Amino acid sequence: MNTEPRVMRFPYCPHGALHGGSLRLHRRTVVRTGLLYTQAKGLLDTLGKVEMEDFGAFVLWALKIWLYLVISLIMIPAMFGFSLGISETYMTILVKTLEWATLKIQKGHADEQLEASASNGLIQREDGSMEKELEELRRSRPKPPVGGDFTLSDCFYFTRRGIESIVEDEVTQRFTSEELVSWNLLTRSHKDFEYISLKLTLDNLGLHWPHLVGHRNICSWITSKLEVTTNYNNPNDSHIPSNFFSYGDCYLLMCASLRMCVFRMKFWLSELVHVMCYRICARGLSATIHYHNRENKPKKGGICVANHTSPIDVVILCNDGCYAMVHGGLMGVLQRAMVRSCPHVWFERAEMKDRHLVTKRLQDHVNDKTKLPILIFPEGTCVNNTSVMMFKKGSFEIGATIYPVAIKYDPKFGDAFWNSSKYSMVSYLLRMMTSWALVCNVWDGGLKRAKVKESFKEEQQKQYSSMVVGEDSSSNSD
Amino acid sequence: MRPDAPRGTAAMGASQTRNEHKYHDLADKSGFSLEQIENLYKRFQQLSDNEETISREQLDSIPSLANNPIKKQIVEAFFDKRNQHHNEVGSCGEIGFEQFLMVMSHFRPPSLKTTEEEKETMRKVKLRFLFNMHDTDNDGIITLVEYRKVVEELLSKSGNIEQEAAKAIADAAMLEVASTNVPHMAPDDFYEGITFEHFEQILKGLEMESRMHIRFLDVDTPTLRCGKSTS
Repeated sequence: MNTEPRVMRFPYCPHGALHGGSLRLHRRTVVRTGLLYTQAKGLLDTLGKVEMEDFGAFVLWALKIWLYLVISLIMIPAMFGFSLGISETYMTILVKTLEWATLKIQKGHADEQLEASASNGLIQREDGSMEKELEELRRSRPKPPVGGDFTLSDCFYFTRRGIESIVEDEVTQRFTSEELVSWNLLTRSHKDFEYISLKLTLDNLGLHWPHLVGHRNICSWITSKLEVTTNYNNPNDSHIPSNFFSYGDCYLLMCASLRMCVFRMKFWLSELVHVMCYRICARGLSATIHYHNRENKPKKGGICVANHTSPIDVVILCNDGCYAMVHGGLMGVLQRAMVRSCPHVWFERAEMKDRHLVTKRLQDHVNDKTKLPILIFPEGTCVNNTSVMMFKKGSFEIGATIYPVAIKYDPKFGDAFWNSSKYSMVSYLLRMMTSWALVCNVWDGGLKRAKVKESFKEEQQKQYSSMVVGEDSSSNSD
Repeated sequence: MRPDAPRGTAAMGASQTRNEHKYHDLADKSGFSLEQIENLYKRFQQLSDNEETISREQLDSIPSLANNPIKKQIVEAFFDKRNQHHNEVGSCGEIGFEQFLMVMSHFRPPSLKTTEEEKETMRKVKLRFLFNMHDTDNDGIITLVEYRKVVEELLSKSGNIEQEAAKAIADAAMLEVASTNVPHMAPDDFYEGITFEHFEQILKGLEMESRMHIRFLDVDTPTLRCGKSTS
């Protein structure tokens, strides 16, 4: 008679799996853990006498030890939000390696001209202001005795600026990945990658491997085991897809746990579990997040606006607090579970087109002071994190308090920008998981009230005309 | 409707070799390097929404060009057949990449290898470009009317200066030019306008080479080449 709860078996764990059981600790589990411990100890004792056939057992033991280490060193700190300092050490080592590597490369090519400033474009722009350039243009001829100081050469400046605008403008610059001042040893961020020395490759692997294998995949593997009431049956999943599933599993875990909770505690617990799950996801991507100005954190009943660089922005922001998000329709099970646990704002696809309906629904959500702040990305699309695109005004018409948040990714460790025309979601996530790390800074801003500046469009012409006429009056006074 | 990031980079892969032949031709004609031509081609595709040709409206819709007071003349210069060096006149409705490149080539800076003669030719070509920009009816002369128009565009749009004042400034400037170029003009003589030779004379002192060019960067030049160090 099999009284064990449903167990998931994995190909490399032939002796029976860890329990994919419920959260309640079985006595059996405790006993089993103890057994495994004695097993491990026994293996250690007999290590000296290990033969080839026992090699498999040794590997198994090593894996188990690794697993326990991962749970204690990665999962638990992740869930509760404190850090053991391992990631920080890793980051410091990484930064030092990158600096050393850059120096080495630069030394080898000291005679070549290195562009000190990373220009993000096709042309080199002059830094001079309009006055300076026009002065220089006019230097070659004497001032006229009467009449305004205008000459055909003034057109040069404007012609050149016009052609520059045609060749390149600020908008297109924001949709290509940022160029790095010094290379960060990832081949993908080197545009003209030709040849990598073997030494560098091995250095890459040496630093990279424990992170790639250990951190992410095991972490996601663990997460996928925590899920309780799903109907997923995926014993043979490979590592990386399990990370995707773990996201959904976290949600369902949360929903399941909420079923057992008292109604009053529901929101508090739901928030807690939410944040925990997002923290696990963030650790799964080896993200290190620094929060600044936490006193301006978005409060309930407000709207949080942030810049948008990648889909991971959501994970990053939700590590710190809980937000309601605006969704179009999702898959059935997930959606129903989410609705029960957390009041997000839902729309059908057809409803999204009706502006008034959208505005009204958002207003209702915002006016209910117990509801979580809504997270909105007013740029509407992913931008490459060097500058901010013009905001769409819809979210500002609702009339609630706006809490601006700025997210900046550190480009040294990997490029977080999702170029949706170049990479699909899956390949983007793969890139994210295989870059060095994800380091980002989040600033909560306080909204200041300032006078609106004059339109820039007229400023240039006003400036120019005052140049011409101003000199006219000065020459007339002679 | 979500604005997607501009496309164009994906299309380059398969037809690489075919493009290279085309680019060699264009490189010879315009004087750009192959890399610069590639970059400009990407930009062309962005502007034309991946079509073969660009129309006036597409150039007009560039946001940073909106601030420029002589936007109309600049856009028109792209469609002016005189700038194509084929000895044709008139203007096209739409331009292809080759025409786009030819206009851009007017703004190429001289490299270290340019001889004095070539520099002189380049200067003439650039001056001709500017002259064509103002001489809209292509009679070889910038008349007073055309000159006034330029000044008005530059000054009066901002509302700071009324049309009358702009006209006065233009007249004064024209008079100055006339007196410089035709020193012994009698008061009743009618000054036709600025011919190309006069134009050259006015702008003689100006270093065209340093003022009228845009430095196109070779974006793909590796700033860091690793591994196979020959030093």
